[in-house]
Amino acid sequence: MKSRQEIFDIVRRSLVDLFELEEPTVVPEARFDDDLEIDSIDAVDLVDHLSRIFERRVSPRDFRSVRTVNDLIDCIDRLQTQ
Amino acid sequence: MRGRTDQLHADASEHFYEWPAVKRTDYYWLRLVGTGLWFLVFGLVTFVLGFLVLPLIRLVTPDRARRRRRSRALLGAGMRFFLHGVSGLRFIEYEFIGREKLGRPGQLLVANHPTLIDVCFLLGFAPTATCIVKAGHFRNLITRGAVTGAGYIPNAPTEDMIHAAEAALRGGETLLMFPEGTRSVPGKPLVMQRGAANVAVRAARVLTPVFISCEPSTLSKNLPWYRIPRSRPKWTLRVGDDIDLEAYRDAPVPIASRRLHADLAGLFAGANTVPD
Repeated sequence: MKSRQEIFDIVRRSLVDLFELEEPTVVPEARFDDDLEIDSIDAVDLVDHLSRIFERRVSPRDFRSVRTVNDLIDCIDRLQTQ
Repeated sequence: MRGRTDQLHADASEHFYEWPAVKRTDYYWLRLVGTGLWFLVFGLVTFVLGFLVLPLIRLVTPDRARRRRRSRALLGAGMRFFLHGVSGLRFIEYEFIGREKLGRPGQLLVANHPTLIDVCFLLGFAPTATCIVKAGHFRNLITRGAVTGAGYIPNAPTEDMIHAAEAALRGGETLLMFPEGTRSVPGKPLVMQRGAANVAVRAARVLTPVFISCEPSTLSKNLPWYRIPRSRPKWTLRVGDDIDLEAYRDAPVPIASRRLHADLAGLFAGANTVPD
């Protein structure tokens, strides 16, 4: 079990490493499509990467309603308690 | 009265503009009727294979990998038959340079897509390959049986396409992708999607480009099949040199695939594949 802050740190680290984003741009309110310019192919890469870190088989379908970084943290938080 | 005459003149000149004074050659009308008949035959054969022959193969081949090999071999033979037909009857000409380089295990083939029948050349001469196919073909009554029987991969949703393509390459299959996702429009620059580069970086053992051109342009996105060119069209397919993927793999997939994508776009733009 990881805290929301830990999850946020992992997500931000991943976004910086995978997409060469500037760390300050990754805030909880940032939208993936507009603010971070993450498209559907990037989303597959990101989800594959996170599922390796959290050692959970997840499908991008689980992330369908995700729009912002905060949504993603909610989603991971829910999945790890399941 | 004078107005009418002018109108007539205007019509005539427009007509002249649309049909320039290039003579229709190479048995134009025969080619037109023949092309139509061949597409009819092609559709019928695809339907019969998909709904009759492939289900029979399925019945006698319980092993999935073997079933796919057999189904693909049959469809490949069908496409070669179609090509031999249209070229044998002199409706088209083609030249295929380097086709012995197709069909290696874990090989990803990326090709530009100027015409409707590009896939016939590639799957006809690399019949063990699987292919990313428009998802609509899995719903279309004529093509559904064939594409499911052969185990081709639908292009949507994105995550399923990428994972299925990755699995096929890791399993040692050859995979064909048209990175444009659809036929190109003559005279416009190629617009490629990043999916092919992504799949290449993830899982391909070998990446091989295939450059396709057709002169004069025909069966392209903006033209119906019956707008055949005045002279007999000729397809030229040239298999390029393998692209070294290790050079890209020191970075995470999203960064590496963007680099490869940019390089592929440059390669195809520079290969003179954009039809006039």
